[in-house]
Amino acid sequence: MASFVPTSEETLEDQRLYTQARLVDVACLDCLAVVGVKKNSEHHTSIQWSETARRECPELNRIDGRPNGRAIHEGCPRLVASIEAASRDGRIPLGAEDGY
Amino acid sequence: MGETRFLDQGLPPQRFARGWHCLGLASTFRDGKPHAIEAFGTKLVVWEDSQGELQVLNGYCRHMGGDLTQGSIKGDEIACPFHDWRWGGDGKCKQIPYARRVPLRARTQRFETAIVNDQLMAWHDVEGSAADYDILPPQLPGLAEGEYTDWVWVAEHIEGSNCRELIDNVVDMAHFYYVHFAFPTSFRNVFEGQQATQFMESKGRPDMAGGYGSAELFLKSEATYYGPSYMINWLDTDYNGFQTEVVLINCHIPTGPDSFLLQYGIVVKKPEGMDDATANFIGKKYADMFGDGFLQDVHIWKNKVPVQNPLLCEEDGPVYQLRRWYEQFYVDVADVEAEMTDRFEFEVDTTKANEFWQDEVAENLRVKAAEDEAAGVPAHH
Repeated sequence: MASFVPTSEETLEDQRLYTQARLVDVACLDCLAVVGVKKNSEHHTSIQWSETARRECPELNRIDGRPNGRAIHEGCPRLVASIEAASRDGRIPLGAEDGY
Repeated sequence: MGETRFLDQGLPPQRFARGWHCLGLASTFRDGKPHAIEAFGTKLVVWEDSQGELQVLNGYCRHMGGDLTQGSIKGDEIACPFHDWRWGGDGKCKQIPYARRVPLRARTQRFETAIVNDQLMAWHDVEGSAADYDILPPQLPGLAEGEYTDWVWVAEHIEGSNCRELIDNVVDMAHFYYVHFAFPTSFRNVFEGQQATQFMESKGRPDMAGGYGSAELFLKSEATYYGPSYMINWLDTDYNGFQTEVVLINCHIPTGPDSFLLQYGIVVKKPEGMDDATANFIGKKYADMFGDGFLQDVHIWKNKVPVQNPLLCEEDGPVYQLRRWYEQFYVDVADVEAEMTDRFEFEVDTTKANEFWQDEVAENLRVKAAEDEAAGVPAHH
């Protein structure tokens, strides 16, 4: 049973556009993680992890064990470097399409 | 192309979220009286038993529907004001003084509880699952050790809005400028599992007072929802070079399809060498400021419509991904999909927005100065 049920088919298409469109696979240069990346601009980055990719990331797995109460942490620096490299090589198209 | 866009207001959710909900500061329930909390479309009764445990049951007696919150505490049990049926914290009817025996089926809805950060948490799940203590919000290090001020705790009933409006703030970069009078200079989100985090750095608008408006105020904020309704917001504040570590709890209990009880609490880490009275005073000041902030939001919520298909621009945060995360609390556990809990990171590009905002604020200050001069008000600087 879904909540907040949309009443229009077009809403489902919007959901797809904003969450899935234009995601480019980027492989981490240091581990086996492959994530979906979107860049609307130089500074904007959207990173979609999968369960498999998340398991592969030793950096985040290590931070997970930190006992300071703040379980959610900033990104993996190795992945950030990998995304920057992919962006430099022109493998991630820069720029949004009508806001998504 | 060129078609008119329509708002899809959608249908309100058919249930209330699964997870831990904060009912309030635990100490408020420890006065030997039953307490009423409106929650999840009904009313709950909260009381302290003789061992000092806080108990939470559905507030209506399974006999003839009497209001237990208007009853009295007898021993460990809550007694109904209608016919004196006595209910234990385990949800069982323990005694009916005028009856030979208690019906075997005399069991009511009980809520499993925990105390975290001096607050009473209750587990809610329409599927009736056992409470998941592994996903309780964390205890703040140093709180029990006396390193923080006393809680300043405030509760506000919100009518006419579903609580998802409050959740949407997690990703709403631009509203901090327009509604709360701060420039968000850095804005990131991370969603994973049952947690959703917002990292933000902001400075107050010099052309505005109230909310976070003030040129001297810098905030470094890390705010995480632990489940659907309980957010811990760690705030490193800098006011005129005076740095304070503030913790804001922002939590709510849904009361109906378009109403909820918003509660927030503030503690401040006591600076070295500062006496408690002064530290508590600072805590109160920050509580007033964030209280103002919530009221600014409430005004917007009360007058807006729900939107299932928000139209976004490049400078907006990930509204759709946040709602996908939030959806996990509204479906059966068996129907939680991987995409609802998979890690997702988003960094907003605030460059363009801040360029525009700086110009706008400069213009506002120029107009204000001209008006002041015309009115004969001396300039500040």
